[in-house]
Amino acid sequence: MKIGNRIRGPRLGTKLLMWGLVLLIVPYISYRQLISMEQLLIQGQSQAQLLTAEGISTLFNGRDDLFNDLPIRIEDYESLYARPLQSPIRIDGKDSDWGTVAAKYLKFGVDSEHALADGGFDLVLGERGGQLYAFMHIRDDAIVFRNPEYLRLDTADHIRLNFIQDDGEDGRVVITLGEPGVTTAYRVGPEWKLAVTGTSENQVQGHMEQAPDGINVEFRMPLSMLGSRRFFGLAYGDVDDSGTRAIRNITQTLPSAGKTSFNLVVLRSPEVLNIIQGLGYSGARILVIDAQNRVRAETGSFTMSEERTQVDAGLVFATRRWFQIVRPAVHRLVMWQGWGEDALAGDSEAVLNKVIESSLRGDPITLRSRVNDQEIIMAAHPIVSRDTVLGGVVVQQNIEDILAFQRAALEQVIVLSIISLLVVFVVLVAFAGRLAWRIRQLRREASAAIDSRGRLRANALRSAMNAGDEIGDLARSVSGMLSKLQQHNQFLENMPRTLRHEINNPLNTLSTSLQNLADENPMIQGSKYLDSAKRGVMRIGAIVQNLADAANLDESLEAEELEVVDIQQLVENYVANCRVVHKDCQFAFRGESHPVYARVSDYRIEQLLDKIIDNAIDFHRPNSPIKVQLDAQKDILRITVANRGPTLPPAAEDTLFDSMVSHRGAEARNRLHFGLGLYVVRVIAEHHGGSVRGMNLPDGSGVVVIVQLPLANSVGASARVNGEVAAAAH
Amino acid sequence: MAKRIAIVEDDPDQRANYRDAITKKGYDVDSYASREAALEGIERQMPDLAILDIILGEEIDAGFQLCRDLLVRAPTLPVIFLTERIGEIDKISGLRLGAWDYLPKPISLDYLAERISSLLRINEVRNATNAKESTTARRVGDLMLDQDALLVSWKNQPMNLSGTEFRMLAKLVRVPGHAVSYETLMNATMQSLVTNNTINTHMRNIRKKFEKIDDGFACIKSEYGFGYRWSVQ
Repeated sequence: MKIGNRIRGPRLGTKLLMWGLVLLIVPYISYRQLISMEQLLIQGQSQAQLLTAEGISTLFNGRDDLFNDLPIRIEDYESLYARPLQSPIRIDGKDSDWGTVAAKYLKFGVDSEHALADGGFDLVLGERGGQLYAFMHIRDDAIVFRNPEYLRLDTADHIRLNFIQDDGEDGRVVITLGEPGVTTAYRVGPEWKLAVTGTSENQVQGHMEQAPDGINVEFRMPLSMLGSRRFFGLAYGDVDDSGTRAIRNITQTLPSAGKTSFNLVVLRSPEVLNIIQGLGYSGARILVIDAQNRVRAETGSFTMSEERTQVDAGLVFATRRWFQIVRPAVHRLVMWQGWGEDALAGDSEAVLNKVIESSLRGDPITLRSRVNDQEIIMAAHPIVSRDTVLGGVVVQQNIEDILAFQRAALEQVIVLSIISLLVVFVVLVAFAGRLAWRIRQLRREASAAIDSRGRLRANALRSAMNAGDEIGDLARSVSGMLSKLQQHNQFLENMPRTLRHEINNPLNTLSTSLQNLADENPMIQGSKYLDSAKRGVMRIGAIVQNLADAANLDESLEAEELEVVDIQQLVENYVANCRVVHKDCQFAFRGESHPVYARVSDYRIEQLLDKIIDNAIDFHRPNSPIKVQLDAQKDILRITVANRGPTLPPAAEDTLFDSMVSHRGAEARNRLHFGLGLYVVRVIAEHHGGSVRGMNLPDGSGVVVIVQLPLANSVGASARVNGEVAAAAH
Repeated sequence: MAKRIAIVEDDPDQRANYRDAITKKGYDVDSYASREAALEGIERQMPDLAILDIILGEEIDAGFQLCRDLLVRAPTLPVIFLTERIGEIDKISGLRLGAWDYLPKPISLDYLAERISSLLRINEVRNATNAKESTTARRVGDLMLDQDALLVSWKNQPMNLSGTEFRMLAKLVRVPGHAVSYETLMNATMQSLVTNNTINTHMRNIRKKFEKIDDGFACIKSEYGFGYRWSVQ
């Protein structure tokens, strides 16, 4: 068979599977929908946030006074800016817990190359929870610690704090440095020499650590000590000679121009804070920035409490977790970009700086950022007054709690839709498989109902007969066809017998009438017409007889008793007798040297040989021998009859042994050939469990017919044969 | 007194043809169309020979049944089946019932007349030899063959062979040890339309009848492709 005929396209199951894949477009599109919906929500949230920022900023628009609430213009002071600290600070002499604020050191006491000179220091100030924090990195080539023997506090390295108290009086505090560890502070008199009271100032807590090039000092004091004006100065008294213990140098934050005024500690404006205090809402942090990029007020926090993000539980939560795990892969698959790459402008600090910068330029902006896996929208809006930007309002909103619920709902929808889709898909595939299996079953049974010879093997189907669907209909209709076909076949099979029965009686009437007619009229005796009429009657009788014999063959073979026969002897005798009967033909026989036993009906084998030899004689070329050969193999024997002469037409090899098929030429028509001879051969061979085939000789000089029969199986057969031989010997 | 022949045939044309032909040969003929009519008629007057068709009207096996009934009444009555049912199985069952001959349609009327006279003669001889020892008997080894009376015995046990079987056996043993061709055997059946298969069937029946008497019987040998041979043990 040609390959083109075999490949007719995919099977039913494959087709359904392929069509089923189309369903995958549903989650694909839903996911894209989800993403765009999410973006829409975020955009809406951003807008809302920007509006909030704008709304807050309008509160401050034109309120220059709030930002310039300090009694002295801020430009006149070198302000010490206390930055808001995000996390609590441990007073331990290390700046590691200061976060990003630690990078904002101010340098004091620098040399010509802007490096710290001996006694110079780096300072950073922070503010948290009503406390002022300070961290100092002091460069000191010779550290002289305080000797508690000396009452005077200025006989060792020390830090001076100078401020104006609430009551308007100068406040002076000296932080003494004993040994590395906790420091002690004392309020001192105007000369900075002796403590005013015997007890230390407990409100000022500090810690000192030694560094490679000096010391690190960290301390804090309550902002309330500074009073409302927040004037604050700081100095480092450097003592290098442990002998004289004289102050070599004082590095201070006070203006170097010799002014006695203080530096200003600039903090968030309480008034501004008061305004925005009431505006804070959950998950949002509002910052008010002044034009110098200093946080003037802050309220709220965008960090979420842990339990709020994990309120979900059970299956929904599990699916959600699962979805969170697979989502990056799904996202990459559907959107062609990595998860979280979109729209997030970078880490929160950078984004914060960006929005502040933008707002201080006068441009409202919203950006998204991510802190600890939580998404944050930062919106900033400038505060303006008469075309100048006073500052900006930054609203940082944690959108997790807003989006999480919606997102979770959408995720659930999509997860459930994927699951149901999968279920539908699996069910579809299973259904398709079952359908295909049933159709295959039906086909197998339908094709098994008719054998390779076109004979009916079954008159009804068994499978799918009770099914109510179309396959059941098909099965019933095929079954109905088969039973009709069987009826028809039976009619055809019975036809020769019926025909013989029906024809023989009128034929007999005809025949006897002819004879009586001849008797009554002696003058027509010997008339050629009477003779030809009689011949015609005989001929019809012969035809009908032959047909009926062939039709009855299967039936009469069933009645035949099989016995174990030596085929070698049978065929040898047969060929020997052929030489006697057919004197004008030559026969060549080659057999086996030993007996070849097969379980057969010997008359039928004889009949089979008759038909094959008749055929060979009819077609053999005169003076060429008809070769008969017997071979015994492992469990079959093969009888080969070959003759030289005309070859079979190409298509004949398959149909040669079918009923009523004759490949004889027209010249043989006058003989009684109905194409039954070789059909009989086949029926007999198949009845004995063998087969027959005919083919042209390889050299094209003639035809060979090969009959294969099974050998009698060894033990039982030989015992039987021995028994017969013994019986015969008696 | 003319012999009385009973003909049972449902087809009126054929019945008339038989009756005419046989009457012409000088026999008294009773012809019947059905089994019941035949039984009634035969009950009245027993014929010397009966010719039966098998299928009578709707009754498919009427002839067989009739044969059984007749042989119960007259075991020596020669019965000839003359029928279109010429399958091997029908033939065998007919002969097993004890019919003397089984003739297929279409038949030659001359041949039929010959069969009738032959069977009547044989029956006469048989009846006569019941009294005295046969003179036409022939002995071949253990086989005793009385050609005229159509009587066979093997090892002194009488056998019941049909006419056809008897004639075939007689041909076979004419020259013991010599192979007899199918053609010769076909002629012996005195029937038209005889195939090798028919011969084989007859031979097998004959062999079976011998084997019934004698388990070790192996005198009838098959000469495949040619015919049969009677080998003397």
